[in-house]
Amino acid sequence: MPTHDTPPDRRKFLYIILGGVAAVFTGLAGWPVWRYLLPGEKSGDQEKVPVAKSDIQPGQAYFFNFRGQPAVVLQLTPGKFAAFSAVCTHLGCIVKWLTETGEFQCPCHGGRFGADGQVLSGPPPKPLEPLPVTVASDQVLVG
Amino acid sequence: MKKIIIDFFDSRLGIRDILEQNLTKYLLPRNINVWYTLGAVLITLFMIQVATGILLLIYYVPNPEEAFQSVERIMNEVPFGWLMRTLHAVGANVIIIALLLHMLSVMFMASYKKPRELTWVSGFVILNLAFGLCLTGYLLPWSQLSFWATTVATDAAGAIPVVGDELVRFMRGGSMVNEATLGRFFALHVMGMPLLLGGLIGFHLFCVRRSGVSRPPFGAEYESRDYPDHFEHEEHPGGIPFFPNYVIKDSAVICFFLAFFLAIVFFAPNLFFPESAFEPADPFVTPPHIKPEWYFLWAYQTLKIFPSEIIGLGIQGLFMTLLALLPFIDRGPERRPFQRPLFMTCYVLGILLFVAISIWGHYS
Repeated sequence: MPTHDTPPDRRKFLYIILGGVAAVFTGLAGWPVWRYLLPGEKSGDQEKVPVAKSDIQPGQAYFFNFRGQPAVVLQLTPGKFAAFSAVCTHLGCIVKWLTETGEFQCPCHGGRFGADGQVLSGPPPKPLEPLPVTVASDQVLVG
Repeated sequence: MKKIIIDFFDSRLGIRDILEQNLTKYLLPRNINVWYTLGAVLITLFMIQVATGILLLIYYVPNPEEAFQSVERIMNEVPFGWLMRTLHAVGANVIIIALLLHMLSVMFMASYKKPRELTWVSGFVILNLAFGLCLTGYLLPWSQLSFWATTVATDAAGAIPVVGDELVRFMRGGSMVNEATLGRFFALHVMGMPLLLGGLIGFHLFCVRRSGVSRPPFGAEYESRDYPDHFEHEEHPGGIPFFPNYVIKDSAVICFFLAFFLAIVFFAPNLFFPESAFEPADPFVTPPHIKPEWYFLWAYQTLKIFPSEIIGLGIQGLFMTLLALLPFIDRGPERRPFQRPLFMTCYVLGILLFVAISIWGHYS
């Protein structure tokens, strides 16, 4: 007389049910953890960031904190402003402004960007991210 | 694919053999009962504490200026922060309940007796470490409750003759609870004690596995026996396999505890938080009726009953010492509860006394 362990199809069914239950519980436990770890939007993340006009001299760059990351605003010619993210598009270092040559240079791998943010030379794959600028009476609003 | 991976490890580490010896061929007594699952429940609860503790560390700031605000931020702003914090705080209480039940069941079945003295002693140290973790964790939110409960708890050590005052200063890092106390308690809570606890749990499990699971002292077939002086692993021929049979029972009781735990988290989250837990610490204003957590009420009330604090502390110390050395005091081979009337009388009276003094402490 043949002896029987649990029939394979019943065992497979049990595994599927247990696997499903485990997946549901993992999802239920994992979702709060994922949301907890996800960087939250701070209040003000959509607001424009003001920079005093007096801080931005013609031909100079002014670095400031734009919603938690470094940014730079330039006064290219009197009254004409442009703003960029100061994060190099190569590996995330912060670019510096060279007044003499009127361009940005990344200290990490020598990437160079023009005053319009376009790549002049070096490894950066794309231009600096431009930021919208609005000129108010005594302020420049970025964002 | 699964077979290839298992074959790879098996040919190098012999994992099939390890799994067989510890799961399917690891036999437990046929009359094993539900109380033996509390170890697995505790491991699960400790794992939840570690996971939620690590998550809380991401946003918690261990500095008196910012600690309370950081906990408020976790509770009110961080997505599911309230869940992580409540799981951690309620989990601490559920662990103490499970630890006490585990200890009481081991005492009832006299599983602490030879050759399992080391299992008992390591378990007793684990219980005390868990109390230590609760005490050190209590201060971290830097609320009125945290501040003053820690002040009262550390102050009790001042009654110890000669070294008392210095001991209090050492624990607090100064004459009062202050920034230094928070630094010390934080380091102990997140690193020192968990490391020690992890090692001790490992040793405790090693003891359980090495000496073998004790046979429940029930049923007509049970007979008390003397253990030899040399090492002997207690086998249970004809017993039930640990996997899958007992793992299913373990899982069922774990689910029961999780249901109880989550019911408190979702339906009574403030059960263990009095009002003073929601006010920032103020070293100049002591709130009225500061009481320790429920599991320290017996100690708190004992100190109040006796006219001299040193007598109260002495009695607590004596009780804890007796408990720690229980297997070396109660050495007879008899394990059946109803064949040990003296022990059982002390056991029942002890539990009633603990509950009565705790209730008295709560309402005093």
